[in-house]
Amino acid sequence: MNRLSGFTGTIALILKIIFMGSVDAILLAMFLAALHKRSGIIELIIILVAVLANIVYFSKRTMPFKFLFPGLIFLVLFVVIPVVYTVQMSFFNFQSGNIVSKADAITQLLNNGLTPDAANTSYDMVLGVDKGTFSALLTNPATHISYLATNSVVTTLKPGEFTMNSNGDAVALPGFTPYTPDQAANLDSEITAAKFPMPNGNFIQPQDTVTAALLTQTVHLDHATGLLTDTAAGKTYKDNGNGNFVNVNNPKDVLYPGWRAFSKFDNYAHLLTDPNIRGPFVGVFVWTFAFAFSTVIMMFGFGLLLAIALEQDLRFKRFYRSIVILPYAIPSFMSILIWKGLFNRQFGAINGLLHTHIDFFNSPWLARMMVLIVNLWLGLPYFYLISTGALQAIPSDLEEAAEMDGANPTQILRRIKLPLLLQILSPLLISSFAFNFNNFSLIYLLTGGGPTNSLQGQTAGATDILISYTYKTAFSGSTQNYGLASAISMLIFIIVASLSLWSLRRSRVLDLVS
Amino acid sequence: MATQAVKKRKRGSKGHFLSHLYIWILIFFILFPIYVVIESSFNPTGALTSGSFIPSQISWANYHLLFSDPHVPFARWILNSIVLATANSVIAVFIGGASAFAFSRMKFRGRRIGLQALLLVQVFPSFLALAAIYVMMERVYTVFPAIGLGSLGGLLLIYLGGSMGVNIWLLRGYIDTIPMELDEAARIDGASTPQVYWLIFFPLATPVLAVTALLAFIGTFNEFILASIFLTDVHQRTVAVGLNSFVGAQFGQNWGPFAAGSLIASIPLVILFLSLQRFIIGGLTQGATKG
Repeated sequence: MNRLSGFTGTIALILKIIFMGSVDAILLAMFLAALHKRSGIIELIIILVAVLANIVYFSKRTMPFKFLFPGLIFLVLFVVIPVVYTVQMSFFNFQSGNIVSKADAITQLLNNGLTPDAANTSYDMVLGVDKGTFSALLTNPATHISYLATNSVVTTLKPGEFTMNSNGDAVALPGFTPYTPDQAANLDSEITAAKFPMPNGNFIQPQDTVTAALLTQTVHLDHATGLLTDTAAGKTYKDNGNGNFVNVNNPKDVLYPGWRAFSKFDNYAHLLTDPNIRGPFVGVFVWTFAFAFSTVIMMFGFGLLLAIALEQDLRFKRFYRSIVILPYAIPSFMSILIWKGLFNRQFGAINGLLHTHIDFFNSPWLARMMVLIVNLWLGLPYFYLISTGALQAIPSDLEEAAEMDGANPTQILRRIKLPLLLQILSPLLISSFAFNFNNFSLIYLLTGGGPTNSLQGQTAGATDILISYTYKTAFSGSTQNYGLASAISMLIFIIVASLSLWSLRRSRVLDLVS
Repeated sequence: MATQAVKKRKRGSKGHFLSHLYIWILIFFILFPIYVVIESSFNPTGALTSGSFIPSQISWANYHLLFSDPHVPFARWILNSIVLATANSVIAVFIGGASAFAFSRMKFRGRRIGLQALLLVQVFPSFLALAAIYVMMERVYTVFPAIGLGSLGGLLLIYLGGSMGVNIWLLRGYIDTIPMELDEAARIDGASTPQVYWLIFFPLATPVLAVTALLAFIGTFNEFILASIFLTDVHQRTVAVGLNSFVGAQFGQNWGPFAAGSLIASIPLVILFLSLQRFIIGGLTQGATKG
């Protein structure tokens, strides 16, 4: 009781206030930093975390949440939010060319719609500060007319008002402080943003630190109708509702960049209708199941046999055990890469040992076999360990009772141990199935999904599983399709989740939870 | 009875022979790549195996390269990995342990749903939420570079978040095995829930927390895909990403330093593993059986 009493009363309260105070102080500092950068969503998250933390830790009625809170925060921020974002992305046209928001896309389109005027008018320019604002002295070398330009107004200078150099360019003006060349070189953001207005909707824009050009805005957005007109090309574009402006007369004439736009079930429909995706998809789908299923069966079979063998009273048992779990301790990405080297046709140790030149990576069936063998090597220790654990968890009186009844060891194994083992291990077998269903690093590092028959224009390889295929579809080509990748992720999730739920229901694990 | 016993022993000895045979086949299978790695780590030509099984020459050149070449900050990579893995395992156990304690010992609304959601979230192909995580961390980087994209701190947060579900689920399995009577007794003596947690439960659960920490440590140390996408700066790399740069390229694969580095990186894990294997076996299964 004396030890416990240190944790009660005023001392505990003071400690708590100090602790929560410092947490709040850190969060406040982070909030201010985020506010300074105007990040929006980050500020919101920090405020939410801070408010919730104070409610949870100062209220008396939230005991379970005092324990759950830190874990929940991590789960929500780094698991739930990305998952929700992925779900959302799957309903958007979100790919290369359609990455930015609509406002950003329009800004870029309008900027792209700037064309030099017919005469290609250019100006000699001196950048500087006039009455505290960023400005420029501009001289048209053809007409020798000079201007003082700021982003809001351009005034024509009268001769005599300013100092000229030998070319007749304005270089100095009372009240105007020019930048040194070094200073001007560091003005990237000001120079890009500079837009000196001229009559007729034209304006002058710096091309570098000493020249500027007269540009015409040829692309206009009509905010009332939402139409984009290109006066130079004489075309009108409308929002096609799918993230792009298209020619009103020819929907195939698409303007880029587009924006990420809500596209309903298009990404999902794509999976079913686009022959380039649908064709390989079925094959990949079947192999993913076949691979995940057979690899778990194989690993479990070999692991269980090993566990049974090592349960006996063998000599060197400890030594065997130590060797057998070695692969578990070696980082798996290293093992996979090493196996890849071992299977190499020319230099690999396997071909060297057999004195053959078998090209494991170019035959679909050999490559699939290789994937299973390598995964067996990787997974054997785990399955040996869980089988051993489960065998030890089976009460020995069951075995003794069966022996009394005259059952032989094979019968005991098949009729008593195996069913019990399966019951004990089914959650682990299921999670192992789910893991291998998405075993990206194995496929990616070992075969890269191959072999592919590029002559037939295949994108999916013989060993590609859904997740590696998704990765290829989404990220490895010249265009990156996040929306489609998210749709396939959702599909994978639904398959694996329903399988897991179904089998967990059957194995009644969730009933024990209550 | 006597004949039965004799019979049994006879069958046993035949079984023993088959067992030994089976075990030896698997041991050959398991040791084969490990032997090749050891051999190529001493092979100065940079090839994976020299073709024969007896090494023709033994050289320390590959090991020397790892610690002398300024373009290969191997010691730094190892340090990064150890710091990352230690931080992840310690924080994960503290935070996950508290959540698991709540799930195991307390009654509250949403408990069952919460546990089911934990299981479900685990089967989401989190690798494909990567694009989302990437965008998120890019944004964080603009405000807090130390925990944003490209930083070890940011990677740590992602690891912590990603493994939290599994850790809570596993730890809850262990905690269920600690007898309730202990905390009930403490409660009768007037202890509050936090006191039960810190003074009774935490010391009792130390072994299982240690195993979870060890598994988290190994998981982090081994992780490659996320780290390779997030860490670009050569000094910020983990050992996995760093070593991959020797053999990841399509051409010019340099197996020698890769093999040497792999061996050095594996040795601490192998020692940890072999010395704690008894706990690990219990740890892996208990989480499931007591699910």
